[in-house]
Amino acid sequence: MQSESARMTTAHEAGFRVQAPNSRPRAAKVIALDATAAALLEPISRATWHGAAFFTSMNFTALTTSGQPLDAWLKDVAGHTMNLMSEVAAADFVVVVAGAGEDARAVSVIADACRMHSKTLVGLIVPRADDSDEAITASLKELRPYAKMLVVANGADYIEAMLTALRA
Amino acid sequence: MLRKEQNDYLAQTGPGTPLGNLFRSYWMPALLADELPEADCPPVRVKLMSERLLAFRDSEGKLGLIDEFCAHRGVSLWFGRNEECGLRCPYHGWKFDVTGQCVDVPSEAVESGYAKKIKLKSYPLIEQGGILWTYMGPPEKQPPLPEFEFSTVPLNQTFTTKRLQECNWLQAMEGGIDSSHVSFLHRGDLSNDPLFQGAAGNKYNMQDFKPVFEVVPSDGGLLIGARRNAEDGQYYWRITPWVMPCYTGVPPRGDHPLHGHFWVPIDDENCWAWSYDYHPTRALTEKEVQAMKDGKGVHVKYVPGTYRPAANKENDYLMDRAAQKAGRTFSGIEGIGMQDASLQESMGPLCDRTKENLVSTDNGIIMARQRLLKAARELADKGTVPPGVNPEHHKVRQAALLLKHDVPFSDGAKEALKARKGVRQTTV
Repeated sequence: MQSESARMTTAHEAGFRVQAPNSRPRAAKVIALDATAAALLEPISRATWHGAAFFTSMNFTALTTSGQPLDAWLKDVAGHTMNLMSEVAAADFVVVVAGAGEDARAVSVIADACRMHSKTLVGLIVPRADDSDEAITASLKELRPYAKMLVVANGADYIEAMLTALRA
Repeated sequence: MLRKEQNDYLAQTGPGTPLGNLFRSYWMPALLADELPEADCPPVRVKLMSERLLAFRDSEGKLGLIDEFCAHRGVSLWFGRNEECGLRCPYHGWKFDVTGQCVDVPSEAVESGYAKKIKLKSYPLIEQGGILWTYMGPPEKQPPLPEFEFSTVPLNQTFTTKRLQECNWLQAMEGGIDSSHVSFLHRGDLSNDPLFQGAAGNKYNMQDFKPVFEVVPSDGGLLIGARRNAEDGQYYWRITPWVMPCYTGVPPRGDHPLHGHFWVPIDDENCWAWSYDYHPTRALTEKEVQAMKDGKGVHVKYVPGTYRPAANKENDYLMDRAAQKAGRTFSGIEGIGMQDASLQESMGPLCDRTKENLVSTDNGIIMARQRLLKAARELADKGTVPPGVNPEHHKVRQAALLLKHDVPFSDGAKEALKARKGVRQTTV
């Protein structure tokens, strides 16, 4: 008699798989850590996303001098100011995007917020074609202590590919 | 998650498909050299990338890989007589040489030149490292021979097997770059398997079940680093190289041989899982080779006389629920190779990725797919030679090492990740 595994792994049987959705869209908060990353995110943010929202972190320096991450603010692509903690609390995961060799210090504040809300932080470094290995290394060093997953993208289109793959 | 059209694009490797064209840019393992052991030995049926072929070694030892079917009435030349520098069809006696050229049509006068007008499709077949490799792309674009370290070290330093895996090549290959499953599925094997046990680095795997990952593109594909906490401000890094389109290396453990895989499409619902073990600087010991023959490490036991694993879907992979319950194996299946294969085959012959839910630790898989898609499109649109064709891209090694917290693995392991003749692997 044919085994159950043999019967159940045919292409024919694949046609009987339950077709109901098995997940809901993810709420991804995608934060540019620097101006280079913000420029990369701007066109991507204009696409239709299920649950991705795009921000810049440019106000961090001024707002975190107290050392209280709760006071940190983000700016969304429409220019609205948003509270970092509220945004992270509402996220399924957080992605920080950095240009190679750029100032990525804001990641520490975002990481604090992620830690407080037990959210996964993904770090994405997007080098330009002429960026040096040293610049990439510097960014890796800056993001490594904070990111659960750290990726050097092979082009800006990877941001979109990753968010789509993660159902954001 | 992939859209259906993307999934099909990546999964289908038959002639004329975008991924099929991509695969046809590379040298691929086709057979073990042992399958054609001597001149005039029996021919062997080979299906690769949805093409039915026949491999044979002629009277002078020359290798051929030709269309399986006779140009006359379409019978399989597997029934042919391998004699006097050619394969003769037993039906009406037509004969073909290793290039597929018809050299004799007995019913026609030699002077008619009829035979010269008949030629079966053929592909080059070369022997390297105990493997017969083929290139199935346009002859004018044939690249230099492969230079993977496992197939270029002396033969007594390397051991390769192949096994049939009954699912699409991509879901099998993705297992090779999915480092996060090791802590679960293969948990029991670090201490039990003779080809893994005893390595100092194993303790880090067993102490830290939450590795953190870094994915970095390389010239030929990707480097996927998994780091775990170690003592003295260090991380224990295990670095997996992926060379496009289907080569993966498993980071080493102690002085055990290094191992890894090629995942070669047979058709869109089956693939060959090639598994190698080699040591860069010494001969494999008798004990190691025996363990490999016994199906330990990344190898498997077979149904006698075949390359089908003894544990297969027909016998529910010899599922042992008692071993699963007792924790001797995590999934109830014995052996690393079949632990992977059983789950990958359970996805179905072609995994439906429209329903999957990837997480951030799957970035290696996401980036591999993106690189394959991109390379196939650039090959189709601009004729761009894909990454991994250049033999320099093959000279990469898997590595396991301790690095200070602030040292990126791509820097700290730079030398460790290069295959260098006579230089021992970097391992813990």
